[in-house]
Amino acid sequence: MRGLVYVAIALGLTIVFGMLRLVNFAHGAFYAIGAYVGLVVAEHYGLAAGLIVAPLAVALFAVVLDRTLLRFFYDRDPTAQILVTFGIAIVVEESLRLIFGGTTRSYPVPAALSTSVNLGFTLYPAYRLCFAVGIVVIVLAVWVFLQRTNFGLIVRASIRDRTMVQLLGGNVDLASTTIFALGAGLAGLAGAAASPIYSVDPNTGFSFLVPSFVVVVIGGLGSFWGAVLGGLLVGELQSVTTLVFPAASDVVIYIAMALVLLIRPSGLLGESEVIRG
Amino acid sequence: MTVAGELRFYGLTILGLILFPFLIHPIGGYGGLATEVLIVGIGSVGFNLLLGYAGLLSYGQAMFYGVGAYVALLTVSRFFPDHPNFWLALALGVAFVTLMAFVIGMLVVRLYGIYFSLLTLAFAQMFFFIVFKWRDLTQGDDGLQGITVPAMGLGPWSIDLTTPFPALNLGPFGDLSDLHYWYAFAALVTLAVLAFMRALVRSQFGEVLGAIRDNEERSALIGFDPRRYKVAAFVIAGALTGLSGALRGLYDTSIAPDALTVETSGNFVIYTVIGGVKTLFGPLVGTGLIMYLQNVLSAKTDAWRLIEGLIFVAVIVFLPGGILGARRKSARAELAKAVSAKAGP
Amino acid sequence: MSEIILETKGLGKSFGAFAANADIDFTVREGELRAVIGPNGAGKTTFFNLLSGVATATAGDIFFEGRRITPLGGPRRVALGIAKAFQTANLYPDETVLQNCRLAALARTQGSFAFEPFRPSRRLDEVDRIAHEALELVDMTALAGARAGDLSHGDKKRVDIAVAIATKPKILLLDEPVAGMSLEEVRKTDALIRGLAKRMTILLIEHDMTMIMGISDSITVLHQGKILAEGTPAEIRANQRVQEAYLGGHTEGHV
Repeated sequence: MRGLVYVAIALGLTIVFGMLRLVNFAHGAFYAIGAYVGLVVAEHYGLAAGLIVAPLAVALFAVVLDRTLLRFFYDRDPTAQILVTFGIAIVVEESLRLIFGGTTRSYPVPAALSTSVNLGFTLYPAYRLCFAVGIVVIVLAVWVFLQRTNFGLIVRASIRDRTMVQLLGGNVDLASTTIFALGAGLAGLAGAAASPIYSVDPNTGFSFLVPSFVVVVIGGLGSFWGAVLGGLLVGELQSVTTLVFPAASDVVIYIAMALVLLIRPSGLLGESEVIRG
Repeated sequence: MTVAGELRFYGLTILGLILFPFLIHPIGGYGGLATEVLIVGIGSVGFNLLLGYAGLLSYGQAMFYGVGAYVALLTVSRFFPDHPNFWLALALGVAFVTLMAFVIGMLVVRLYGIYFSLLTLAFAQMFFFIVFKWRDLTQGDDGLQGITVPAMGLGPWSIDLTTPFPALNLGPFGDLSDLHYWYAFAALVTLAVLAFMRALVRSQFGEVLGAIRDNEERSALIGFDPRRYKVAAFVIAGALTGLSGALRGLYDTSIAPDALTVETSGNFVIYTVIGGVKTLFGPLVGTGLIMYLQNVLSAKTDAWRLIEGLIFVAVIVFLPGGILGARRKSARAELAKAVSAKAGP
Repeated sequence: MSEIILETKGLGKSFGAFAANADIDFTVREGELRAVIGPNGAGKTTFFNLLSGVATATAGDIFFEGRRITPLGGPRRVALGIAKAFQTANLYPDETVLQNCRLAALARTQGSFAFEPFRPSRRLDEVDRIAHEALELVDMTALAGARAGDLSHGDKKRVDIAVAIATKPKILLLDEPVAGMSLEEVRKTDALIRGLAKRMTILLIEHDMTMIMGISDSITVLHQGKILAEGTPAEIRANQRVQEAYLGGHTEGHV
């Protein structure tokens, strides 16, 4: 279950890195914005509305951020990118804290979905089931978008050769901004959708940020299916460790990340670029 | 390095260290804050060696800071409870962290860019959770509280660092008794660290380190071994950060696991970047400024950390060299002129 | 005949299924000026990368002065005396020309790693001497104080050669030293290389055939990653297979 949330967040993170070569430490902040915006909208207009408004709001915010600030950082070294997105993350999280207060807020699960569904072998909460299905649908939808549409083609070609795509008339800037918004929107959607399960507090952003990087590293920075595989693996790893060796359940994902970085830095499904000396 | 240059450095630094706690008094500062700024600042100076001079963004310095504090406090409370010794606590804290930095350094320098940063983050998280969960040793979430820190032995004297200076009213600049001996000790250590860093950066070692930072490929192909230099830098930075942590632990007589969090690692980044990477005093200035904001502003408004974040972003975007960094460019031009003068007809 | 200074046996470099270099048995003697030529994509730069340690061989061995150096990394090879000047000049752009050379000289005098935290290298006269010598050899002393990044393309390449020389090499690998240079610069660089050839062994990748034919003691021709032919300039010029490898049989002027 947790794995699926990781998949949702990691997907946005890895797409942005893969397509834009941007390391985004503010990704967790997008999740947090989505969670809070979703919360406010859901309280007044219901969860469904929240699930629609939240990702759009986050995507809009991301577009503004990209156009005003981040696009100047695409070509800069990763250090500068990490620093500026880290700074943005702090600003966002603190703003959320000031606006919404520092306490944990809980999310209304719609009455229709508060029941449990009999899956034959177990009773499973209906909402979580919907969430799982939703994630799968989203993953596939994004995949189709990138692989099968013209626009997705431009986006994928832009990573290979930005200049060439520009010369051929493709709008690279639009592609970049769209990708960034897409990644942010995914995180926002995850925030709005997962919060009935996990509740929301100002630290949410950072507490999901670091594990999402773990997922992305294990799956392979920049790899679409790597994020999916990584998310599921990390989720499973945590669950299993909690049962078998509970003291290590937090540490184990970092040990896994360290091992991957040392043995196969490109991750399970990533391309093997030259990242070691 | 001229005699005048040396005098100027020591003179200004000593003067600055002496005046610092009094100058911040009128704006809400106090002796304890000044001491904390120096102690944490030492860690920032260490971090700067990695980021500014070696070009390595380590997101895990908190592990050295926190472990240094824990080892120092455990030395007097657990390891040697019958013969608690101030210097031993400090020494063991630094020694353990140095060893840690060596082992971890050997592993992390194989990676570059984001992968390097993420690996340092992974190790830091590992240590955080180890400290958090190892209740037997570290008291877990509660941390170590109220440890009896022995007086500092210095030859025939035994100095209790918590002793305040004698009272002396300095008007708007506070009272001398607001300062404790701890400040004097921290100031001396800070001076030593700055002097060391200054020498290091101007030395052969520092020159090569800078060359590796500016063009690693070229450096390897003229015969330098980048990996060993990076490990050395990592170890020195780790040791300094560990010293900072050990001092903090002994000063606070307590430590909690949040000294090892991502936030703490992030703080070193923030302080150093704002103050100025690649400058000697930048990290201290940044630490001072932000810790001042944290302390003084937090009483007045809830938005202090937001302000901190905004300053941070503003500095990165508009002032990448940090507050003290603007002077640096002109210094480089001077250097170029000086060198060409030497190579003349 | 002088001693063999550099030798490769069965040297190969493959990227997956693609073999950039294969079965290279290569020998060069001390003091030789050997040109390595071939059409684009023949694997010349890969060969130099293998020799200098930038790339790791996937097959075969390299011997320098009789010693097997295949597992050694770049810095170690420089210490042994193998220096390379880059195809696109790779300098420290923010440093002066002199400082670029001084760093190379420093590496030569201190070794690959020296923990000298208190000694400033400005005190080392040896380093200055070597750096100035290298600059004089390439006739760039006048520009010693200039910022390396500000130089013209041709000047940068000359500085790059000076930096390589400042490591006091026994064998110098020059990767397209005159590429992109004006006629006058080519002439000067040609004279420079001839001068250097008296002091050290030189391996040269170039496309400028006139220069190659005039300057080389011998030539190795690479084609599709393997050695196609070896011999004196006259022998290579007359070689049918070499002419075929270069489209249309051009062996004069630029390819």
